[in-house]
Amino acid sequence: MAKPFDIAQDKDMEQLYAERLKRYVTAMRNEKPDKIPIRPFVAEFTAKYAGYTCQEVTHDFEKAFAAARKCAADFDWDAVVGNMVYVWTGLTQAIGTKYYAVPGIDISPDIGFQYREPSEEEAFMKPDEYDQFIEDPTGFLFNVWLPRISADVVEIGEPASYRNNLSFLKGGMAMLNYFNAFGKQNELLRTESGTVSAISGILKAPFDIIADKLRGYLGLVTDVMERPDKVLAACEALMPHLLHVALSGADPDKNVPIGFWMHRGCVPFFSQEHFDKLYWPTLKPIIEGIWAKGHQVLFYAEGNWNAHLNAFAELPEKAIVYHVDMADIFEVHKAIGHKFCISGGIPNFLLSYGTADEVRDYCKKVIDGVARDGGYIMDASAIVQDDARVENIKAMTDFTREYGVY
Amino acid sequence: MTEQKKPKRKPGVCIPWEEKLKELPEISGDKELVQKVWEDIDALGYVYIWQCLLSF
Repeated sequence: MAKPFDIAQDKDMEQLYAERLKRYVTAMRNEKPDKIPIRPFVAEFTAKYAGYTCQEVTHDFEKAFAAARKCAADFDWDAVVGNMVYVWTGLTQAIGTKYYAVPGIDISPDIGFQYREPSEEEAFMKPDEYDQFIEDPTGFLFNVWLPRISADVVEIGEPASYRNNLSFLKGGMAMLNYFNAFGKQNELLRTESGTVSAISGILKAPFDIIADKLRGYLGLVTDVMERPDKVLAACEALMPHLLHVALSGADPDKNVPIGFWMHRGCVPFFSQEHFDKLYWPTLKPIIEGIWAKGHQVLFYAEGNWNAHLNAFAELPEKAIVYHVDMADIFEVHKAIGHKFCISGGIPNFLLSYGTADEVRDYCKKVIDGVARDGGYIMDASAIVQDDARVENIKAMTDFTREYGVY
Repeated sequence: MTEQKKPKRKPGVCIPWEEKLKELPEISGDKELVQKVWEDIDALGYVYIWQCLLSF
C-alpha cells in the first residue's frame, strides 16, 4: 500500500504531467500556452549526463532508458523521447544487420553508433530490381533485401541455416521486447518526473527510404537521371505501407505527433525539380492521410529544407510541427509560422563550444523572433549528442523557463 | 492518397487470410476467430520487416 506521502507525490506528479501535456499540445496546435514548452531531443547526451558510455546506452536499452529518465527528472523539460539513441544494437546484432558500426565493437565505446552506407556497387537493391520491388515491396524486403543486409539470413533458394532461423526468432522476440518496454518507460517518465513522451510512431519519406536503405544516395542520384519513372513508381509503391506503419504506431489519444525524419531529399542533395516531381508528390498525400485521421506529424527537418517551405505551406493548418535544424529559423517562421508550430533552432555547435551566456543570448533571439505568439517549442537544432556541455543544456532550459513565460 | 495501383500484398499483411484459408480443412468452429488470430499474428511479421527498414 502506498504511504500518504507517496500518494501526495503521485498526485503532484500527475498534476505536473497534465500541465506539461497541455503546454506541449497547445504549442503544437500553434496556439499560446502558459509557457514555452521545452522538448529537447537528447540522445547520447543522456549517457554523458548519467555516467554511461555510448556503448552502454546503445547496446543495453535499459541503461538508455535509465539515462533518459535521469535527465527527465533532473531538468525541467516538458517532453522527451523515451530513448532518443533509439537504435538498440543488441537487436540489430541479433538480426545480423551489417550496416551499423556498433560502439565498443566496430568503433570506440565512446562514439555514437554510425550508419555505414554501402558503395553504389554494393547497394541493397540493384538498379534492375525496381520492378520486383514495385510489384511487392513486402515480399522484396523479406526475400531480397533482408538476406543482403543481414549476415545471418540466407537468400531464397539457399539451404536454411541455424543462424538464419535464429535471426528471425531472436530478432522478432527482441524487437517485441524492446517495443513493449517503451510502454513501461513512458509510464515511468510520467510517474517519476511528470514528463510527456514526445512522439509516437515513425514516418520517413518514400524517396528518402530508397536512398537510405535500398539504392543508397549515389545510386538514387543516378536513378533520378536514368530511370525517373521507376523511382516514382517505387515511391508510389511505398506510400500505402509507410502510411500504414505511421498510423499503426500513432498516439491513440492524438496528442503527440508521429516523428518524421527527413534526410536527403532536399536541395542541394537533389534538385528542386526532383523534389517537385518525386519527393513531394509521394509524401504530401501521406501527411494528408495522417492528418485526416487526426494525427500531427513532426517534420524533423535535418539539415536545411528552406528551399521547400512553399511546398510545406500547402499542407493543412496545424497538420505538422516543423523542427528547424540548420536552416534560418526566422525565415521559417515568416514562411510557415502562421500555419504550423515551430521547434528547435538552437545551434548544436553553440551547445558544445559556446558559453552559457552565448546560449542564453541565442535562446532570447529565437524566442523574441519566433515565439511571441506561441506556437514554438524550445529544442536544439539537431539531436543532442555527448559533445553538448551540461551547463549549456542547463542554460537553455533555465533561461527558457524564466524568459519564456506568456 | 492519390489514385494508385492496388498493392499485391496489402499493408499490414504478409500472408493474406484468403491464401491461408485455402490450406485449411473445413473450419467447423468459429471461422472469424481463426481469421482474427491469423491476421493479428501475421501483422507482427509485417511490423518486423517494415520496422527493420524504417527504424533499424
